[in-house]
Amino acid sequence: MPQFFLNKRLIILLVSIIILVALIGFSIRDREQLTWPEQFLKDTTGWVQNVFAKPQQFVVGIFEDVQDLQNTYKENKELKSRLDNLAKLEADVQQLTKENEELRELIDEKETLRDYTPISATVIGRNPERWHELLIINKGKVHGIEQNMAVVTANGLIGKVKSTQQFTATIQLLSANDPTNRISAEIQGEESVYGTIEGYDGDRELLKLKRIPKDAKIVEKQNVITSGLGGIFPEGLPIGKVVDVEPDEFGLNQTAFIEPGANFYDIKNVIVVKREMIKPDLSEMIDDEEEEL
Amino acid sequence: MRRYLLPLLFIFFFIFESTFVELLPKQLFQSDMILVPRFLIITILFMTIYGGKKQGIIYGFIFGLLFDVVYTEIIGIYLFMFPLVAYIIFSMMRIFHSNIVVASIVSLLGVSLLELGVYELNYLIKVTDMDFSTFIEIRLLPTLVLNLIFLVLLAYPIKRLFEKHAEELKNE
Repeated sequence: MPQFFLNKRLIILLVSIIILVALIGFSIRDREQLTWPEQFLKDTTGWVQNVFAKPQQFVVGIFEDVQDLQNTYKENKELKSRLDNLAKLEADVQQLTKENEELRELIDEKETLRDYTPISATVIGRNPERWHELLIINKGKVHGIEQNMAVVTANGLIGKVKSTQQFTATIQLLSANDPTNRISAEIQGEESVYGTIEGYDGDRELLKLKRIPKDAKIVEKQNVITSGLGGIFPEGLPIGKVVDVEPDEFGLNQTAFIEPGANFYDIKNVIVVKREMIKPDLSEMIDDEEEEL
Repeated sequence: MRRYLLPLLFIFFFIFESTFVELLPKQLFQSDMILVPRFLIITILFMTIYGGKKQGIIYGFIFGLLFDVVYTEIIGIYLFMFPLVAYIIFSMMRIFHSNIVVASIVSLLGVSLLELGVYELNYLIKVTDMDFSTFIEIRLLPTLVLNLIFLVLLAYPIKRLFEKHAEELKNE
């Protein structure tokens, strides 16, 4: 028995396993903020990655230009057909926005869940091992980015800010397998239907929109947007289109499968969305006068 | 001057892994295979084989920590796996001759050990729910092919570099 414990290698192995478990336990819990050595390391590597990102984008740009040239004819045709509708749509949008503003002034409601300030950023790194779907961008706390903000591309929502450092931030994509990644969403139709996006079907590459009431009628190709009711994301960010609807395992709710509008792979520039309306404090929402009854 | 060359090489591969994933053509990226560049661990293993055990394990430790902090945000997995794989590979190399083909095959083995270990740990902490056969099929095999190509291209220059480095260490 004593000889067993005197084996140096075994002790080193055991101690390192203990340290491993402790470190994983420490870092896996929901952290508000990374520790400062981590932030420092990430910022420093972010700086180096920034240097690398420039020539990389140049090379990618050349290849993409060539590909674009090949498709020009086809795209041009398609775009022309869309252009006809655009003028009417533009006029409509302008009129509606104006009307909306006037009506809002009437009821004295100036701030909406829809208002946000965009912060544009460039992707400078991606997790190479791809167990965790993480991106690193070149904007951080200094530029006003905070944890849990929504991140979009031109085509729709792609994820949220997982952690921030001074000059860089890490984004978790919607395609990550993380049960805590929940987004309150709305299916647009004659009558809006609300649910929460929970999880990602890796095989079919579809998002799962759960907790839709049983009697709600949902058809394919309906648009899905963020509802803004979750408290952090603004309202009206496009997410994708409904592909399929299934009753859930207990038959009490429905689950819709949504094809994301944005591509989770080919991401170069992103927009971090900062909501204007402040999230109410939980203490303000709870009515504590009841106790005095 | 040469003293700083090695850390710079490792830092280059460390950053290059993430750049490589972004540079990968869309069709390859979106297909069912997951190609993981493991260039950093391959250089660390060559370092262990040609430069010595102590150095290899120290570099594995430092870059494992860096990998965890920067890319995964879960500290511990690579910090543990990099030095462990380096140590196992070093023990294996005592049996074989350190010729370049053997070194390449052994480092590919190291890559699969690393992938397996990381998969098991991630499975344990529920980062993934991929089952084992899918893991072998869509992750391990494509990854090994990718890293084999890397080895064919760069094994010789890396070997030369580390051999020179080891000689210099002896002379000092």
